[in-house]
Amino acid sequence: MSYPSLEEKLAALKVSEPTAYERSCLDAVSPGDYEIGVQRTADILDEGYEVFMRSSRSQMGVAGDSIVAMFNAQGDLVNASAGTYLHAVIPPIVIKYILKNFQENPGIADGDIWYTNDALYGGIHNPDQVAIMPVFFEGELVAWTAALSHTTETGACEPGGMPVSAKSRFDEGMNLPPMKIGHDHVLRHDVIEMFAAFGLRSETSVTVDLRARCTTADRVRVRLLEMFAREGKDFVTGLFRRMLIEAEQGARKRLASWPDGVYRCATFSDSAGTEHGLMRNCFMTMTKKDDTLHLDFTGTSPENGSSYNAHPQAVIGHLANYIYEYVFHDLPISSATFQPIDFEFPPNSMLSPAPNAATSCAVMAATGAMSSIANCVGRARFGTTEWRQVTASLGNGGNASVLAGVSQWGMPFADMLAYTINTEGQGARSHSDGINAYGFPWCAFGRAPDVENMENELPMLVPFSQHWPDSGGAGKHRGGVGTAQLWVTHHVPYVVFMSIADNSIVQTPQPLFGGYTMCTCPGLSMEGVDIPELLRAGDEGTLDLASLLAGKYGGQIVSETYARTARPVMSDQVITLGISTGGAGYGDPLDRDPQAVEKDVTDGLISDWSATNVYAVRFNERTGRVDPEATTAFRREALAERKARGKTWDEFHEGWSQRKPPEEVLGLYGSWPDAAVVNPLMRM
Amino acid sequence: MPNTIHVAEYLDLDVDSERWHCHSCGQDVGDARDNYKKGLLIHERDPGEVHPPLIDGEFTFAPNPEWIRILEFYCPGCGRQVETEYLPPGHPITHDTEIDLDSLKRKLAAGELRIDEHGKLEVAT
Ligand SMILES: [Zn+2]
Repeated sequence: MSYPSLEEKLAALKVSEPTAYERSCLDAVSPGDYEIGVQRTADILDEGYEVFMRSSRSQMGVAGDSIVAMFNAQGDLVNASAGTYLHAVIPPIVIKYILKNFQENPGIADGDIWYTNDALYGGIHNPDQVAIMPVFFEGELVAWTAALSHTTETGACEPGGMPVSAKSRFDEGMNLPPMKIGHDHVLRHDVIEMFAAFGLRSETSVTVDLRARCTTADRVRVRLLEMFAREGKDFVTGLFRRMLIEAEQGARKRLASWPDGVYRCATFSDSAGTEHGLMRNCFMTMTKKDDTLHLDFTGTSPENGSSYNAHPQAVIGHLANYIYEYVFHDLPISSATFQPIDFEFPPNSMLSPAPNAATSCAVMAATGAMSSIANCVGRARFGTTEWRQVTASLGNGGNASVLAGVSQWGMPFADMLAYTINTEGQGARSHSDGINAYGFPWCAFGRAPDVENMENELPMLVPFSQHWPDSGGAGKHRGGVGTAQLWVTHHVPYVVFMSIADNSIVQTPQPLFGGYTMCTCPGLSMEGVDIPELLRAGDEGTLDLASLLAGKYGGQIVSETYARTARPVMSDQVITLGISTGGAGYGDPLDRDPQAVEKDVTDGLISDWSATNVYAVRFNERTGRVDPEATTAFRREALAERKARGKTWDEFHEGWSQRKPPEEVLGLYGSWPDAAVVNPLMRM
Repeated sequence: MPNTIHVAEYLDLDVDSERWHCHSCGQDVGDARDNYKKGLLIHERDPGEVHPPLIDGEFTFAPNPEWIRILEFYCPGCGRQVETEYLPPGHPITHDTEIDLDSLKRKLAAGELRIDEHGKLEVAT
């Protein structure tokens, strides 16, 4: 076997040395032509992204949780259109692997279609799959194109591609190392059959998404060839190299203004698959020096025997989500922007597990890294003129639910419900609240499907969707709230339901500068509810989360962790309550404008309880409006109470340093409190 | 104009004296080469006081208080909540911001960086 080592993967992320020919082509790109050329690459990629969404079948593909990218001949990422930044910086690992290992046998030729979904070789997790095509111009390899997206079926031990009960990679269904699945511009029929077999639970989405990736990579290839023919090889070659040079300069310039120093963040989670236990799911030490960043994950809990592990490049992919949304938002999506960033991963941690580890829920394992980077960068950046870009962490809950079975149209299906994941709250911003139901932290541009679309595609009814009060972290600026949506099986005898998440016992994101983070998310279903009555209330618009939790429609609430293994739900029964996390809060809640608190209550974004107890706002009981004088007095009192009850550092540590969480919840943690590996993990 | 950077919502860094100050009330909160949290007051809370349980049972919308606590850090001058951290009981408090003062002073003196009128750093052009 020759899967790339960690060192090889990290090296592949670095931009290749320009060849003498590339250097000579730089002069072919004059100012003006350069900007037009950059825009042409963006236009080509945007067209590809549109083709991708329109030709995909799975909910996430249709929602645009995808990326389309182009690379130079050496495999450096030059530009991309997204979708999701998750896949932004890591495809070069795969292309450089193909270039290194398969030049002779099977050879790299015009019309090839290459493919992989194996995180061991450079992906995120096996539902995330990429089609890659070399671009040959006048017989010479001049570029590469790629299309990546998430398909919700891999033939694993549970439906949906992200089995929470997987113990090793051998429970995760299809894992393809980089391989040639088509030649001469034709996708091999025996390969399509293999995908259909692995995708038996949801054959159409698996095979249609496969074709969508290939056709998208090919569209970009065709458009690039037109560009080569029109502008000449020297120009496009020079353009690509200049784009890499300028992107790197832009990234370095941005980092240079932040104060040098060390910034840290510790985050925690509560589960590895179906096993509950406290984990330090990220301990990030970010060292900023001149125009470079060094990210060290030492102190992150050990790898575990579930699928909640992430290979290092998958972690880097998750960091790209935040970095392209908030830091390099105005730079091209390019290998070069990550050139000034180096990484260190402790071996056998949950962010650098052994090759046989299950990693299909890597997106869960990496939530700590996603949250920590927002926190560390926020601290490094607030003291600069870029302070307006500082935000508290996004929700990063990723509460993903999967439905499978046979649809009302007689079609086998297994799909992820894109609504919940695509409506999380944004982290509160340094100058304003986070956006409510802003989107998917893994894919800023992913769209929540319409209810009508969901009810048409899947055998279910959606009696209500709403903003979820108190789900955004409190603060001077409030985290955006998430959503709640109810699902009821309909039209079919039963569906199979499962759910992927943690965050039912503790929340991972840390808040920023004195705010609070979001509350935890239980996995809720209802037994014995009066469904006709509930649907009537839904039609009338009186059905909401509060009335449901208050038991207004009878029956019993069943509360579990949000992560649940696959189970059948019979017709006209509540499947579950889908809830998405809000964003983390920013700043002292006592600093929040009382009028904004009043508006939040009116808009149903926070409860009366929070207005009084967290924001210390007093209302005129008769009018229901803020009482400014009473609020000022109440807050003054609250500030004084803090000073009276707060302990000094030394006083506090007398008691604190003697304590420890219960031994029975530390089984996944590693050594206390350093989270180092204690016992090597045995996998079958 | 004092050589002061507004480094966090509620923290100023006085570069010359190497001291942290509360941005709201000006209170001195300690040596800028040390963890600013050492100069703040600390209070521990059950997370359910901020995120109340909404239903009965084991999973209630409130974080489990045996697993995680909220630490609140207050300015001893004005009581502002300068920071919060969600930590398991007994877990070391994070030293989250450790600015390299020598590098900062060197870059300011060399004119590589400057502090604008709002106390924000920028690359001098
Ligand atoms: Zn103060």
